[in-house]
Amino acid sequence: MTALAIATFAEEGPYLRARVAAVAAQRRIVGEWLPYASEALGEGEGERGIRAAAIIVGVIGAVGLFALTTWSMMVAYPLNVGGRPLWSWPAFIPAPVEFGALAAGIGGIAVLFRNARLTRLHHSAFEWDEVARASQDAFVLAITCDAGEDANRVLALMANAGATHSRLVGA
Amino acid sequence: MIGAHVVPTDRRWTLPSIRTLGDVTDAVAAPLMDRSAGRAWWLAAIGAAVLTGIGALAVGFSFWYGPGLWGNNTAVVWGFPIANYVWWIGIGNAGTLISSLLLLTRQEWRASINRFAEAMTLFAVSMAGLFPILHLGRPMYFYWLAPYPNTLQLWPQWRSALVWDFWAIVSYLLFSVIFFYVGLLPDLATLRDRPGSRFWRRIYGVAAMGWQGTPVQWRAQERLHRTMAAIAVPLVCSVHSIVGLDFAASLMPGWTESIFPPYFVVGAFFSGLAMVVLIALTIRRAMELEGVIVPAHFDVMARLILASGIVMGASYAAEWFSAWWGGEAADLRVVRFEFTGTYAPFYWAMLLGNVAAPQLFWARRLRTSAPVLVGVSVAVLVGMWLERILIITDTLSIGYEPSFWRTYAPTIVDFLILAGTLGGFLLLLLIFGRLLPVVSMHEVRKLVAKEAEQQR
Repeated sequence: MTALAIATFAEEGPYLRARVAAVAAQRRIVGEWLPYASEALGEGEGERGIRAAAIIVGVIGAVGLFALTTWSMMVAYPLNVGGRPLWSWPAFIPAPVEFGALAAGIGGIAVLFRNARLTRLHHSAFEWDEVARASQDAFVLAITCDAGEDANRVLALMANAGATHSRLVGA
Repeated sequence: MIGAHVVPTDRRWTLPSIRTLGDVTDAVAAPLMDRSAGRAWWLAAIGAAVLTGIGALAVGFSFWYGPGLWGNNTAVVWGFPIANYVWWIGIGNAGTLISSLLLLTRQEWRASINRFAEAMTLFAVSMAGLFPILHLGRPMYFYWLAPYPNTLQLWPQWRSALVWDFWAIVSYLLFSVIFFYVGLLPDLATLRDRPGSRFWRRIYGVAAMGWQGTPVQWRAQERLHRTMAAIAVPLVCSVHSIVGLDFAASLMPGWTESIFPPYFVVGAFFSGLAMVVLIALTIRRAMELEGVIVPAHFDVMARLILASGIVMGASYAAEWFSAWWGGEAADLRVVRFEFTGTYAPFYWAMLLGNVAAPQLFWARRLRTSAPVLVGVSVAVLVGMWLERILIITDTLSIGYEPSFWRTYAPTIVDFLILAGTLGGFLLLLLIFGRLLPVVSMHEVRKLVAKEAEQQR
């Protein structure tokens, strides 16, 4: 049975070293938990679609409200206000611009929830105390340790990188 | 002095007392979870609640007896309600603007101030939103401002500045809530995972939505935070530009000026920053956050207040110059009235608060002196409040038609409603300080790690 070696690091440097060592040793990284958004993360999974959603939903919101404005002022409620044209488009711009920004925020957070798999209040990772530490002050890395393998070697890989604590789980 | 004089070191934005990531978490989360509220908090909360109650009573009386209880008259129809609205939304604009601008320009010092500045935005905009509703005359029909199919077949009048305000306030408030929440998510997880009351940990757990801090989550959160910051900057500018257009789109002397939108945006930033300084000084001391809100923060905010004060002075000068250069008799009359008319002492006081007082910040030592920071910030807030009142009263008291000239005097009910919103704002801030981390823990952790790395 494959076990997991889970280690905590007090600082980013040792965590990154352990990560590099794990990849070099062809270990599968099962999970990583960080106390802040490290710049070393770079671009990757999680970002996809957020900007696009914000732009698309924002534009739809703005154009939609402008269309509603135009329709309501020209068709549904064509009121003559001091002889101004029914389609007073400059005066119709402020509301759609504001609403478009709000719609962009809503579109963006919807994709954040999807990409980050939020709303999952229960997750097996929460059973490990180390994961709770990650939201406080620690970097946490979990890698595989195959059955029959010398677990001490795997744990040593973490310790050599500077782990403050490591252990095997699920063995 | 707030602390040691500002000396450029590798650790500019945190003090050496904050050495580890855990120190940051402890410093910010401990006042919430490990300590009781304390006597000062309760006294402040009771005081704020009493003020809020008084304001609510004044609003109740106004609903019962009508706007005749206010100082508004047939000429000065906007009076206190619109002036207070503009003042509050100005303060409200600064939080999100400061936070998003500093995020986009990668200013590391934002980490310690962005959270409470954003909270200030939410509470100030909430207070601002009350005034247009009160001023409607028939506040029970405020929802008519929203477009919805109805049996009367009525639609909002989209050409009206009132409808623009409705969309500006609602959109800005909800957008700011989302922006605030996105930044807060990782810190909610921190509170969920700290030892403490089971009840509150559950509440924080639900609010954290299962945040774990995986790379995927951090990337998504960072990307959305920056995307929203990029949207927030033009949004904030547009919101206060719309407030400026409430005036500039009219045909009144002293108001029909193209400078109004940018002038209002700078004024909003200016007053909001003064409020941020006051809040920062208070929470730094009350919550023992001296390690993460340091003299350098006040130094840089004082510089911004100084720069904004200069821009405000230039804006006032541009107004006077436009009136003189344009040669329109009514415009010139308004400018003369500002300096010599009924409200002239307030106009001079406004110039003192908004233009003269910030000049103290040319002196480096004064930028980190707590009494001077408090004095100048209060002067700016009072000055900006006077400006909002005077924009309305100076123009409307002495418009184009002499038979329509009226002076304006606010009533006790006007003042009580304003006091109620001040109480409400303070009460919301106090509750926020007890329930949520007032400083962004994950961003300060990153800052501490970076500064520690630079020291090596």
